[in-house]
Amino acid sequence: MGEYDTFINKNFEELMEDEEITGVIRDLTPGKKKYKGLYARFQVSKDPNKYPERLWIRLGRGQLVEKPCSMRVIEFIDLFAQT
Amino acid sequence: MAHRYFKDNREYIEALRNTGDLVDVYQEVHWDLELGAIVRRICEKKAPAAYFHSITDYPGFTALGAPLATYRRLAMVLGLEPDAPIPKIAEEYKKRTTGNPIKPKIIDKKDAPCKEVILLGDKADLFELPAPMVHDGDGGRYLCTWHFVVAKDLDSDFTNWGMYRQMVYDEKTMVGPVLPFSDMGKMFYNKYVPKNLPMPFATVISPDPLSAIASAAPSPIDEADYAGMLMGEPVELVKCETCDLYVPAHAEIIIEGVILPNVQLDEAPFGEYTGYRTSPRDKRAVYRVKAITMRKDPILCVSNMGVPTDEGQLLRSFTLGLEMERLLREQGIPTTGVFMWPESTHHLVVVGVRPIYANIATQVGQLLFGSKLGPWFHMVVVVDDQTDIYDYNEVIHALCTKCHPKRGIRVEEHGVGTPLNPFASPEERIFGRAPKVIFDCIFPPEWPKSALPIKVSFNNVYPKEIQEKVLANWRKYGFKD
Repeated sequence: MGEYDTFINKNFEELMEDEEITGVIRDLTPGKKKYKGLYARFQVSKDPNKYPERLWIRLGRGQLVEKPCSMRVIEFIDLFAQT
Repeated sequence: MAHRYFKDNREYIEALRNTGDLVDVYQEVHWDLELGAIVRRICEKKAPAAYFHSITDYPGFTALGAPLATYRRLAMVLGLEPDAPIPKIAEEYKKRTTGNPIKPKIIDKKDAPCKEVILLGDKADLFELPAPMVHDGDGGRYLCTWHFVVAKDLDSDFTNWGMYRQMVYDEKTMVGPVLPFSDMGKMFYNKYVPKNLPMPFATVISPDPLSAIASAAPSPIDEADYAGMLMGEPVELVKCETCDLYVPAHAEIIIEGVILPNVQLDEAPFGEYTGYRTSPRDKRAVYRVKAITMRKDPILCVSNMGVPTDEGQLLRSFTLGLEMERLLREQGIPTTGVFMWPESTHHLVVVGVRPIYANIATQVGQLLFGSKLGPWFHMVVVVDDQTDIYDYNEVIHALCTKCHPKRGIRVEEHGVGTPLNPFASPEERIFGRAPKVIFDCIFPPEWPKSALPIKVSFNNVYPKEIQEKVLANWRKYGFKD
């Protein structure tokens, strides 16, 4: 199980079950590349065991939601392919 | 003639060590929060700077924490004794920055320490640099907290050095805010973006202390020339590897690349100079990296923004205040001085004037708020020439006794602010709006002299001979000081 986090600019209660998000997740694997950003389309569940990856949620000013969620990555998106 | 100054951080560290203004930290510290927490505590306690000799995951790198977070350190980089009082530091700064700009000197690459290591292409990997996670909850690792970004106008020779924060996103990408009213923002959004052109940049990490000050100073003079004025001789620059920009040759680390005109990425939150995380995670400018050059044993300088006092608060307060004093004098305002307490996070300006005509406080406030410097503060306190602007007690006393609670407070509702103002509503932050307020702490000149309240102080209500007698006998009375 990989461990990631993401930021949402809304209250945690407003995050829907199985909501699909397109945005940045950060890889929390320890080491030099910890916090690397990845742009992805991913689906989130508040059930920490539903999807294969662990996802921590942070609110817009960095507040950590205490209980982890789970997620599955639908696809990674290369923002720089055309640049 | 050259002034006393430090050519690089190595000379500066040695000087700080000699005066007791630096602690050598030999114990290994982790870049993930531990280093940031130490620097934060240094700022809050006004403790000595820290020189970290061992950083987890990054052998070969060292870090200097809180490089310029006290007036003692500011005095030292201006060639003064560390205990020099603030007015003396201000005088030295004004002396050095008055006169003709000093153009930089271009030196050969082989003589530039920042070219000892050159990493191009895939070898230029941001994760090979010890970017700290400065605060828990930040949007990423902020590699650039004590640095400046060099950028050049598209169709003129105008070059800007400015401190624009940068967060590591991946191996090749940094993200950061480029505010539209900033010098770099005007170049980028007005010139490059409309033509869909990437803007070359060079980030100078850990510059010498005076170049860092020049980059933070709100002067109209070209920052490289300004650095030369502060040094009393030309700052030495060297050409970048991948573009036509020039960077200080004695800096520790240089990152070269382009700012993309057509892509934005999530950046922040970040602990900001106001002492809060105010601006949310949002889409911001994307810096793509092409090259990293550095010294063989590079020193990463780390500033930790938060509650006072950090480098941003101290330096911006100091330089903004002196630039405002210059502006008021140029306009013929009878000012006695301008000062901003770093603790105000450069939101409050204290202006001393000789109150020789009515409503001078309004004139001062409108002039300052209407200037290019205006977005960075929203409170102007105007006191008379009997009040010591550097003395917190005297200014608070004047504010609370001479400022009329109604006619002494003038509010301008429609000012220009920044998105970082904690007091502003979410909508005001988005659009950079901020009300402004003037506190007029001057008794109206039309009041009859007989009706003027008399300040009751040792200096004001005793004959000179009594004052001198009391001072001469103070220890004899039994007092220590």
